[in-house]
Amino acid sequence: MKISRRSFIALATTLSAASLIKIPWKPSEKQASSRTEGKIPIMCNMCGAGCGVYLVNRNGKMYVEPNLEHPQPGLCARSAAALQLWNHPLRLKKPLKRMGERGEGKLQEIDWETALNEISSKLKEIISKYGPESVVFTYHDFYAWHMPLIAFTLGTPNHVQHASCCHNASTYARTLVLGAGGPPTVDPDYERARYVIFVGRVLNAAMGMVQRLNKAREAGVKLVYVDPRMGNAAMADGEWVPIIPGTDAAFLLAMINVILSEKLYDESFIKKYTNATFLIKPDGTPLTEKDLGREGTDYLVYDIDAKDFVSYRKAKNPALEWEGDASGIRVKTAFLLLKDRAALYKPEDAEKICGVPAETIKRIAREFANAKGVIEDGWWSSKNANDSDAFRAALTLNALVGSVETPGGLYVKLGSKFPASATAAKDKVTTITGGTLPPITAKRIDTQKYPAVPHVFDAVLDAILEGKPYPVKALFIVGTEPFTRDVNTEKLKKALKALDLVVVIDVVPNDSVDWADYVLPDNIFLEREELAEVKWTPHAAIQLSHKALDPPQGVDARNGFWAMMEIVRRTVPERAKAIGYTEEYADYHRFEEFEDYVKKKILESLSKAWNVPSGDIEKALNEKGFYIFKLWVPKPGPGTLPTKSGLIEIYSLKALDYGDDPLPKWKTPKYTLPSKPDEFYLVNGRDQYVSAHAAWTWSVSSLVDRRVWMNPKDAGRLGIKDGDIVELEGLDNGFKARARVKVTNRVREGVLFVYNRVGGRFSKLISGQYQVLREGINPNMFTLSWLEPLNGSTGLNSTVRVRRVGA
Amino acid sequence: MRLAHLWDQSRCISCGACIAACNAANYASTDAPNPTWGGAQTNIRRITFDLNLKPYILLLQCQHCEDAPCVHVCPTGASYVDKDGLVKINPNLCIGCKYCMTACPYGARWLHPSTGLPAKCMGEECQDRLAHGLMPVCVTVCPAGARAFGDLDDPSSEINKRLAKSRVVRLLEYKGTKPKFFVVVGR
Repeated sequence: MKISRRSFIALATTLSAASLIKIPWKPSEKQASSRTEGKIPIMCNMCGAGCGVYLVNRNGKMYVEPNLEHPQPGLCARSAAALQLWNHPLRLKKPLKRMGERGEGKLQEIDWETALNEISSKLKEIISKYGPESVVFTYHDFYAWHMPLIAFTLGTPNHVQHASCCHNASTYARTLVLGAGGPPTVDPDYERARYVIFVGRVLNAAMGMVQRLNKAREAGVKLVYVDPRMGNAAMADGEWVPIIPGTDAAFLLAMINVILSEKLYDESFIKKYTNATFLIKPDGTPLTEKDLGREGTDYLVYDIDAKDFVSYRKAKNPALEWEGDASGIRVKTAFLLLKDRAALYKPEDAEKICGVPAETIKRIAREFANAKGVIEDGWWSSKNANDSDAFRAALTLNALVGSVETPGGLYVKLGSKFPASATAAKDKVTTITGGTLPPITAKRIDTQKYPAVPHVFDAVLDAILEGKPYPVKALFIVGTEPFTRDVNTEKLKKALKALDLVVVIDVVPNDSVDWADYVLPDNIFLEREELAEVKWTPHAAIQLSHKALDPPQGVDARNGFWAMMEIVRRTVPERAKAIGYTEEYADYHRFEEFEDYVKKKILESLSKAWNVPSGDIEKALNEKGFYIFKLWVPKPGPGTLPTKSGLIEIYSLKALDYGDDPLPKWKTPKYTLPSKPDEFYLVNGRDQYVSAHAAWTWSVSSLVDRRVWMNPKDAGRLGIKDGDIVELEGLDNGFKARARVKVTNRVREGVLFVYNRVGGRFSKLISGQYQVLREGINPNMFTLSWLEPLNGSTGLNSTVRVRRVGA
Repeated sequence: MRLAHLWDQSRCISCGACIAACNAANYASTDAPNPTWGGAQTNIRRITFDLNLKPYILLLQCQHCEDAPCVHVCPTGASYVDKDGLVKINPNLCIGCKYCMTACPYGARWLHPSTGLPAKCMGEECQDRLAHGLMPVCVTVCPAGARAFGDLDDPSSEINKRLAKSRVVRLLEYKGTKPKFFVVVGR
């Protein structure tokens, strides 16, 4: 059955749904005359977690409630404040065109048709001179699924997400040790957890994780937060371990040291599920059958029963601690090499690096091992440009105590088999719509410099400024905010100035609108339908976020997918036609038919992949907002993992391929370390109040703190009082900015903390009470291009000099 | 019937869902500032004790006192303890004198800028939710399971079950207000 969005809204929700999307705002002034109730399933998109919620309408009073049946149910303050974003007085209402210089924020309203045509004609010019690869799309979560389709249809491989300033470090670690991918692919089995260590992570999202953790809380789980500042969640039951910024790897390696030297590890798990028994040659590579002149290329272990070198697949009793001679080659087990590495991090030595007392490290290591605990595998981890080693150590620790795919350990998420919107193969591009395009020959810019994990935007800035590996001339900034996202603000500004075309698609005036040639007002998630995978759940599931509201009166916002497809069509009509996007969809209302077609194709693909009737899936999506294909259940250990050996690689063979160290180690951060009494680390972070869009809502804006946190001992030493104004000066880039101080024990001595994305905003379009967004500092502005090699994870922390300038 | 709130400090992750949801449900998601407390119009305040050795937060809202100072000082009878045990305001009797705001030792009342009358927990929508068998919105939205609401006179109520297994404090009990907002500080 074909269900168009409009007919669905009329059909599926109780009574009021049809009127729900028509109700003018201010229900308190305009009460519905009769009792009407309804609730519409939504995937919250106030941050990237995508929690399952309902938009509820009781008598014209609308608000968000959690969808508790959903596999990842919401919500936090951000979601609760969603209608404030929808009805925001500063919402971008019409397309805007730049009138002054880039950065001046002088913009003038124009109509949609003119905006789309002008952008397209500029793009045509750029593409004819420099090729389609000179166009880059950067984005966060909005339209993340659609982006390959949009970019590949235009002909560019360059859709470059926010990831290098978010999760590339932990993603690299997951790739090396577990063969897994982004942050949602692996996570603790919270509901059965006994002991959870969070490294630099607060329970800021997803709220489904918090819901699952409730069961563990009932059973007495212990939570440990290793972080230079105390996040919101740490104020509840739990232990906060204040650590020196950029030293997490040293702390975790010292835990490994304790667990190995006190034999607190799960030996049978390690032998069965990890490559700890692999024999490693002096050059660091693993011994294979080929090395011994045998048939095959399997990795070899020493079998104690057989007293011989045997393929790891066949060994009955592989030795964990063995070194010796294998046909003239000196070999040693990976486990012994890990022991050698960990020996460099005795708790007493690690204490000198990370500032955590050796006794605390030992105690936590013992508690963790005895409880068969779990260390959270990292989400936002771009902090000190050395973070991937910390998460490699964390994953190694999980393996050592037997906490992978086990009850209360880490789960490896069951994929939903959600199809890609477009796939670029060597010989052709294929799209979800059934279209085929000639292959894209240009290679992505970022992976040429950072081959291990894609989505490194700093590499795009380099290409803009240097013209290498090829020129970049046009940038689309879609629902994301480079000024509060990326490092090295000066470089960002230079690059934005150098471009021939900058287009921003957003809902509120995030700072980059001041630098845009064109600004296109976007729908918020409540105003458009989206079919998506359910993230942050172990289960294989999808969800349908329903369209619940039209934009408020006076806001001519349009679906960003439409806006981008229209720009693509107007620029390369033949390519657009080849994937089934034609001029008829220029009519905004007819575009819903194209979206319905895309949705139908996704459902067909899922129906085939799981052998479930499309109609069943659709019915559940319409009624409850989600469909679960398969439930994850804990096991004794992982099945075959997508690593080179199929095992948990505590000794990473993939790292060897990249020329990286196969074992984790601690490296000093790249920023200048503080050494004088007025010099501090400046760390930034999140909580349930932070995202580029939630920061705009009044409720969230009122909950978040824009002051710079300082420990009372530091404040006393420097004669600074709560509420004083200080000037911060970057030790590495000399950038200066002022903010008020909050004196608090929630930050370690020698460290300053600010929330990310919420302060120091500068767009000229910010007005009225929302000028509070100008208060505080934007921590990104104190950074340079400190990036990890291979994965491009940035360092968003920095170091500063502090001077009191007023009260 | 003695309806009461429970808030579990040992589980609250301070996400602010209850604070923002109170604004959304009871005050139509307005972004008009709260003239009494600053910030948003909501019946729940968050207070952070930053200088304690282990910093913590307190969520503060109407304690629905059994011996409520706001009710005692009200010159018109607008503030009253209802038969369900909740402290309520009858807007038809309220003259906006703000005695109740001054008398409340918890500072749980704020002045609504457009009506000129004091506002507090329960808001209008939450009262309507109760009337239709639903929980107050702050309880419904809490992701951390840190809230409960129910009848102290009903031995089988969720709030009584949780009270039975928790270490609990009540705020400013020495003032003799007999508050019905229970703060769980541990098990």
